[in-house]
Amino acid sequence: MAGKTGSTPATYSPSPATRKKKRTPIGDADWVRPDNRSFYQCRPAYLRTGAVSTAAGSAYAEFGNTKVIVSVFGPRESKKAMMYSDTGRLNCNISYTTFATPDHGQGSDNKELSSKLHKALEGAIILESFPKTTVDVFALVLESGGSDLPVVISCASLALADAGILLHDLVASVSVSCLGKNLVIDPVSEEESYQDGSLMITCMPSRNEVTQLSITGEWSTPKTNEAMELCLGACSKLCEVMRSCLKDAVTDSKE
Amino acid sequence: MAAVNGSSDLSSEMEVDAFRRLFPLRYHEYHLLKSVRPDARKLGSARDTTLALGAVASADGSALAKIGSTTMLAAIKMEVMTPTVECPDEGSIAIEFHMPPICSPLVRPGRPAEAAEVISKQLSDTIFSSGMIDLKELCLVGGKAAWMAYLDIYCLDADGALFDAALLSAVAAFSHLNIPVVSLNDDGRIVIVSEDNVRGKLEKEPVNKEKRKLKLNSPLFSLTCILHKNYILADPTAEEESIMETVVTVVLDSSYQLVSLYKPGGPVLAHTSVIQDCVALARRRVKELQNVLNEAISDMEVD
Repeated sequence: MAGKTGSTPATYSPSPATRKKKRTPIGDADWVRPDNRSFYQCRPAYLRTGAVSTAAGSAYAEFGNTKVIVSVFGPRESKKAMMYSDTGRLNCNISYTTFATPDHGQGSDNKELSSKLHKALEGAIILESFPKTTVDVFALVLESGGSDLPVVISCASLALADAGILLHDLVASVSVSCLGKNLVIDPVSEEESYQDGSLMITCMPSRNEVTQLSITGEWSTPKTNEAMELCLGACSKLCEVMRSCLKDAVTDSKE
Repeated sequence: MAAVNGSSDLSSEMEVDAFRRLFPLRYHEYHLLKSVRPDARKLGSARDTTLALGAVASADGSALAKIGSTTMLAAIKMEVMTPTVECPDEGSIAIEFHMPPICSPLVRPGRPAEAAEVISKQLSDTIFSSGMIDLKELCLVGGKAAWMAYLDIYCLDADGALFDAALLSAVAAFSHLNIPVVSLNDDGRIVIVSEDNVRGKLEKEPVNKEKRKLKLNSPLFSLTCILHKNYILADPTAEEESIMETVVTVVLDSSYQLVSLYKPGGPVLAHTSVIQDCVALARRRVKELQNVLNEAISDMEVD
């Protein structure tokens, strides 16, 4: 720890009450989402490529309060310890800033999310196109505002495209939360904290292929179907936004 | 790839690029002979600098600083601590500088960059020794409670002159800092006075009604220069830093008083006249940075 104190004294946040909000009665007919969106409406997405000049490719994504940066490095030499491999390797890492969450965190790497990101992207990348080498995908969550993993995955596929890595298709990811009787798409942190179940789909819309599907919590079959339809629809719309972002970047650089 | 269908002027561009990679030092020295740098800057001029305050919604104070492509995001979170016995009426500041793997191809996850630790220490030394912030201002209840300001600076894009950008973002974050209004509750803990409480029944008198802003005695600004042969290059890029190794960092306060000066080794010796030239360049830079900071603050007030 830096600072004058040498060893940092124990501190506490003066606002512990904010996280103990009473649970909103979600069963009510007149329940509204914390940001006044309708249930099937995604947050406005802002995407931009080329956020980091020193990376081979990079992208910045902002969905409401969720803000992430993804950098792609490589293809570059694999670590010495790695065995020979005919196909390329993918290496993913997600970390959080100390101010990403309301309490002052440690800002450490998140191994669980990193492996999920790896699994979500693996199927979309043509690994045969860079044998013996590694592509590194590093993500930093600047602010966590809910649906962090889907945002990171979508942003990462945009960064891969920006780096010129061969892909079968762009990967878009959207999650849906189940709150009582309601399904809400693209949940914010508050909704995620009291959700009954969550479903996330990561897919390549133009090939109609799903690279990752995760369902947690309690789901009935009709609900699952409805949620999947919702996610797939939102994914293809998100993919359009991502595609136009890439096109804009190219036309901007030509001018 | 582009060279396959490239026209003649593209192929000559490729040659320059190849020369740049194969003989980086000679490439740069050709430029220096003509008193210009590869990015068309003069030797003594710094890159375009921008500053945006309040970039992080969840923090009490934050700023995003850009010098050329070098990008820094600084955020301050205020927490409460019990002051030490030696200084019962002083708060504290914990400064940390992070270089996440996204910022540069040289940083790998799991292994913190050496440069990050060096800059972390350099920043806290500079800020504490300058007296820019009076730690007594951070006191809440003498001997019982004081603020601990966690200042975290993240490098989002590392393209040279990291210390300058980090210091600029830190100073800007402190000038953007809004200290929350707090009161002492019955358990002896400090709690935030929420908006509703202010309007409705006020249970406890706030302990820091007046001290909502942190007073900065004299903001600090810095300029890093590279010394190579008898050239002085202000505000180097990452490429320049990797080729020419001698750097000098000058930190001045807003009345141009010298606060600190770092010259961490390097093959070029710094004579008095060279140091004086560096300080003169830094003075000019302080003027620019003061304008940048003032503009950012007034932009914030308009919104």
